[in-house]
This record gives sequence, C-alpha cells and structure tokens, in this order.
Amino acid sequence: MAAGSSTAKPGKAGARPTDGRVVAQPWLSRRARTLVTVLAAAYALLVWLEGAGLKLADVILPLPLRFFVQEAELFPHAARDVIEWRAEAWRCDLGRFEELDVRPFFPIRRDDKENRFYRAMFFHYRQRRVLEALDAYLEREQNRLHPDQPIGGVMLLSLRIPIPPAGTPAPRYQRLPLSEYPQEVQRKYWYVTGSAEREQRCAERKSP
Amino acid sequence: MRQAVVQQTWTEKLRAWLDAPQPIERLALARIVLPLVLLAFQSSRIAHADEWLSAAGFRVPDLGGDWRQPLYIPPVPIGLAWAIGVAMVVSGLCVAAGLFTRAAAAVFATLLAYVALADRLEAFTVSKLGPMLSLALCLTPSGARYSVDAWLRRRKHPGELLPTHVSGGVIRFFQVFLAAMYSGAGIAKLRGDWLGGDVLWSHLHDNYQTIVSWALGRAVPAWGWQGLQYLSLAFEVLAPLWFALRWTRPVAVVAALSMHALIGLMFGPVIWFALLMSTLLLACYMPERWLKKLFRSDRNPGRVP
Repeated sequence: MAAGSSTAKPGKAGARPTDGRVVAQPWLSRRARTLVTVLAAAYALLVWLEGAGLKLADVILPLPLRFFVQEAELFPHAARDVIEWRAEAWRCDLGRFEELDVRPFFPIRRDDKENRFYRAMFFHYRQRRVLEALDAYLEREQNRLHPDQPIGGVMLLSLRIPIPPAGTPAPRYQRLPLSEYPQEVQRKYWYVTGSAEREQRCAERKSP
Repeated sequence: MRQAVVQQTWTEKLRAWLDAPQPIERLALARIVLPLVLLAFQSSRIAHADEWLSAAGFRVPDLGGDWRQPLYIPPVPIGLAWAIGVAMVVSGLCVAAGLFTRAAAAVFATLLAYVALADRLEAFTVSKLGPMLSLALCLTPSGARYSVDAWLRRRKHPGELLPTHVSGGVIRFFQVFLAAMYSGAGIAKLRGDWLGGDVLWSHLHDNYQTIVSWALGRAVPAWGWQGLQYLSLAFEVLAPLWFALRWTRPVAVVAALSMHALIGLMFGPVIWFALLMSTLLLACYMPERWLKKLFRSDRNPGRVP
C-alpha cells in the first residue's frame, strides 16, 4: 500500500489520510486472499495452457471444472463449407418425407448457429442415443402443435454449402428450403427413423 | 544466502505489484457493466427458460461422462426454470446496482455456473467466463463505492470516509487473465489454420453473417483478410508482452478494442463476447483521468456521487 494511504472498513469512519487515498478493506481474511490469489493464477495459467495445446487440465481437473477453462481456443480452423443442419419428417397423412422446419420447436436463437437443434446436431451427430432423443422430441412437438399434420419419424441431415474462393463477391446469406439448394450442395443423412417404428407411430396416432 | 535474498526481493516485487492500490472506479466499472453484458447475452435464453432448463424443451440424455456433456443435470420443473431465470435477472441487476453486492454476486455466479452446466447446448465462451468474473466481483469490495450499498452506508454513517482505491489484486487478475486469454487464443490459432488458411473469410458466410460482414466480404480483397489474420496473430500471441511494456500498452488496448469492435460487428451473436472483453480492457487500462471523469469522482473525492 502506498505511504500515507488508509484503509476504510465499510460502515466505519476513519481519518482522512494525507494523500487522500482511502483503500477499501477486503472482506476476505489474509489467508483466504492468498488462497484466492493462487487459485486465480492457476485459473489464468490453465486457460493459457488449454489454448497453447497443453492439456494439463485434462489430467488434474474433473470434467465439470475443466469445462470452465476450455475457452481460449476460438475459431482456430478455417471452415471447409458452411454446414446447415436440417430435418425431414415422415408425414403420416401423405406417406412420404417432407422438410420439417424445426425452428419453432427450438425458439432460443431460432435463426442462427446458437439454436439448440443446430448445437445438438453439431455436438452429437454421431451419437445415436442423442439422435433418437431428438427424433422423439421432434415427433412429440410436431404432433402436439400440428395434430392435423402428424408425423411418424424424422431424417436428420447436414448440408455442406461450398464457400466461394477468398475475395469473391458472394450473395448475402439466406436460409433456403431444402428443395431450393442446388445439386452441388452435398447432403448427408445421419439418422432415419426405422420404417416399422414410423408405421407404428402413425398407427398409434390414427387409433382413438 | 545470497540466493535467498534475491528470491525475497522477487517475491516482494510481485507482492507490491499485486497489492498496489488501484482507483476504485476500475472495479466499479467492471461491477456495473459486466453483469449487464452477461444478462444481455443470457436474455435470449432467459426469455425461453422453459425450453432452456426444463423437460418442455429438448434434453440431451445422460451420456455418462462423455466430454461433450461436462455434467448431466436433470431438467427442472417448468416453474423452477422460470424462477431461475428471474433470479438470474434480479441478482445480475443487483450486482450492477451494487445492492447487497456480495450476496447478489455469489447468487449470480452460482446461477451462471449452473446454467452453463445444465445445458451444454447453450453454453459458449461467455457462459464459461461469466461465473469466474462474477465470483471475482463477489470476493472483492466491488460494492464499496458507486453502489446502493455505499449510498445506504453513507445515510447510516454520514461522516465516514469512502474508499478511493481498492487493493490491486482483482485488477491484476483481470489483466493477467486478458493476457493469458489472448495469448492462448493466439497460440491456438497458430496451431490451427491462421498462418496459411482463409480462416476469417471462411467464417463470413454462415448465419452469423451481418450486413457489415457481408459488405466487407464484397469490398476487402483476399490479401486484406490474410493481413487481418496476421495482425490478429501478432497481437494475440505476444499479448503478454504488448500489455506488459508501458510504451506498447496503449497501442495494445486500442488494437484489442478495434479487434473486438470488428468481431462484434461481423459475427452477430459474438457481440456479447466482444463487449465482455472490451469491458475488461477498459476496466483494466482506461486512463485514470478518463475514469475519474466518467464517474465524476474528481468533483467529490472520497464521497458517494
């Protein structure tokens, strides 16, 4: 602390020091402050190490704590294509798959990459358990909100939209219906509800 | 013996650097703005708290320790989900206003940590930073001035001296954290594609695109994007040096603020991350004269405005 300064305890009056400095008194004990300082330094170090590719946190921290230091690795790689995650639904009344706009069922940030459907597919597109849960959720929500257009299952897919070469003027991004994407946009199907399952669900919807 | 003396001097220097008092306005600025930025980031989630935290929305099943799911937390009832949203707003606003600051910051930090773990799908960098920053505000006398707490104390004890400074530890933590974050991010980019690939260009075309990024994408030539990548790398990788040296520090702060402004304008929702980092930068490095002017503390030294 600088010479001439004073420490003010909240709620207690004190004499004004000569240089006019009054330092707020910490509420932690000296020992607690030392511990907090060490933990804060360790946190900053682990954040740096994660970014630097030295995964010390993987060894010393349990997953829920490790999660909070994995934050420096921001956009390290170039995107090869723009990825869009979409769904098609088996329409019980029509007997065919049609595009299902899932955005009403995931209202949080429904139009961008922070949408929960996008994030669920981004993280879990190879994890069947999660895709089955998505299937069940989409079926439940569609049939609850639109009982006149019942569905019996879904196909979950990704679109790979090519990125133009750097410096090429490109059109503004817009979300298109599946049917309007040209041939060069690659489609990859990650999950399809089995036909028996679809028929069973549709039959259940028909029965009173 | 000689070695022990050197060691002590080094430790003393570090201690003096850590403890050197900082204007309380730095901490007050962080306390007022950070919770507001965090709440603004969470607002689109809080508005749909039922989808976010209860079984009314999609839930990722328990994956039993998979790295994509740091902790499985079962969904809460819809009413509790809304209560958590309301509690988050109230505690965040209390921190910003400096009302019951310590308790409010503890509640805010806890709720931010809970929602980050409860729904990995809606957890981003800001979600991970929020609990740490709120905890820092909780553990320090962040409500000692420019706060409702300080106003209430002054009514109770009209003659008391009010703090003009805080022990430097928390500001030093923010400064060290910023350097570590930038440097770590820069090294990650070096290990990635930033030296040779068209990283910035490649991220301009998806649904994060704004009118600004679209217009820049049409106006800036390919070499311009490469140049921006090299500038970012040079700034980020060597950030600890730029911020440590007195004569490069102002340039580093301007460079960082410009980088965040560009990020915020070009990548839609990333604006909250840009604002969070900019707030930390300003709290740490804004010239003292500007800070005093901002808080008008030069008119009433040692008093609650």
